[in-house]
Amino acid sequence: MIPAMIKDIYDKQMIELKKLWANKRQLTYQVLNLAMIVFSALMIWKGLMFITKSESPVVVVLSGSMEPAFQRGDILFLDNSNPHVKVGDVVVFKIKDRDIPIVHRILKLHEKPDGSYDLLTKGDNNRVDDRGLYAPGQLWLSRDDILGQARGTLRYVGMVTIALNDYPVLKYVLVGMMGLFVLTSKEG
Amino acid sequence: MHTVWVRLNAVTFYALSVLLGLSVLAAISKIGHSSRNAPVVTKLELNTLRSLKAHGGVDRALLSFDLHADLRPAFHWNIKQIFLTVVATYETKRNPVNQVVLWDKIVEAVDGPDKMVFKEDNIYCKYALIDQRGGGLRGKEVTLSLVWDHMPLTGLLHMDKSVYNSTFTLPDSYAVKRQ
Repeated sequence: MIPAMIKDIYDKQMIELKKLWANKRQLTYQVLNLAMIVFSALMIWKGLMFITKSESPVVVVLSGSMEPAFQRGDILFLDNSNPHVKVGDVVVFKIKDRDIPIVHRILKLHEKPDGSYDLLTKGDNNRVDDRGLYAPGQLWLSRDDILGQARGTLRYVGMVTIALNDYPVLKYVLVGMMGLFVLTSKEG
Repeated sequence: MHTVWVRLNAVTFYALSVLLGLSVLAAISKIGHSSRNAPVVTKLELNTLRSLKAHGGVDRALLSFDLHADLRPAFHWNIKQIFLTVVATYETKRNPVNQVVLWDKIVEAVDGPDKMVFKEDNIYCKYALIDQRGGGLRGKEVTLSLVWDHMPLTGLLHMDKSVYNSTFTLPDSYAVKRQ
């Protein structure tokens, strides 16, 4: 039943694509349509990066170290425009040379005369502070390690990203389907 | 085109848009609530300074405090939990600003109003008051304040602190209080 349905959809799409290829003007129109969507999304993302001064204005919570407040799969909106952080802030930081951003809370803050900070973080749900996570020999984080303060949250939406990460093939399937869709759908 | 695929696509994206709209509404509905309804703090004071020692090159103080606070006004339907912290602030020659969390607690909305009223004395600090190397805690004036973070189900996080805070001064020499 399902394979027959998929074959049916596949056949229909192939027919649409063949029709498209025959009509170059229509094809150009559809490709431009697709490009508009992609570039609009990119503009929104870059715009957010600019306003929040953060390299990653939206992050997905990956671990349970901040439960029960943030669960795996929640998304967080970050704001990096404030150079001053304070104790108790929920911040997202990256340890140098590591890829994974971590969402934890600032436990200790020492501000130096020159305005720079030494910060220690800890996850709400963890028993110990994050010193064990930092690079060997690193005792404190600095303001540069922080990608932004968490300002708002949306539940569950990040599950999609986690699924895409755990099963990378889904990424290609999803993008492929969406691309096909935009290319072959006709507006009115 | 009315294939299954088109319908599925339409339904999914409409559902997502509705979800987004509702979340935004939920967030907007409680703007300003947190600044108007703050927890009421009636007492936050040092109870006993247990010890002030030099420990591995840095000064460390262990203490206990009293906390009387009523958190109930701060809760509303969009609050999942309040993260409560007792923060000690002090100044040293080396660092103009030092903020250290001594104690924190998660108070969830599902716990019920009984858990939201605090009247505890002699709460031992969860995290020691440790200064950085080269600073020094002896003789310093420390301010204790209550800082809370409203963590919503959906929407904006909001942190606030109590106007009520208390100060105490650490002794000029290292000491251990023998019970």
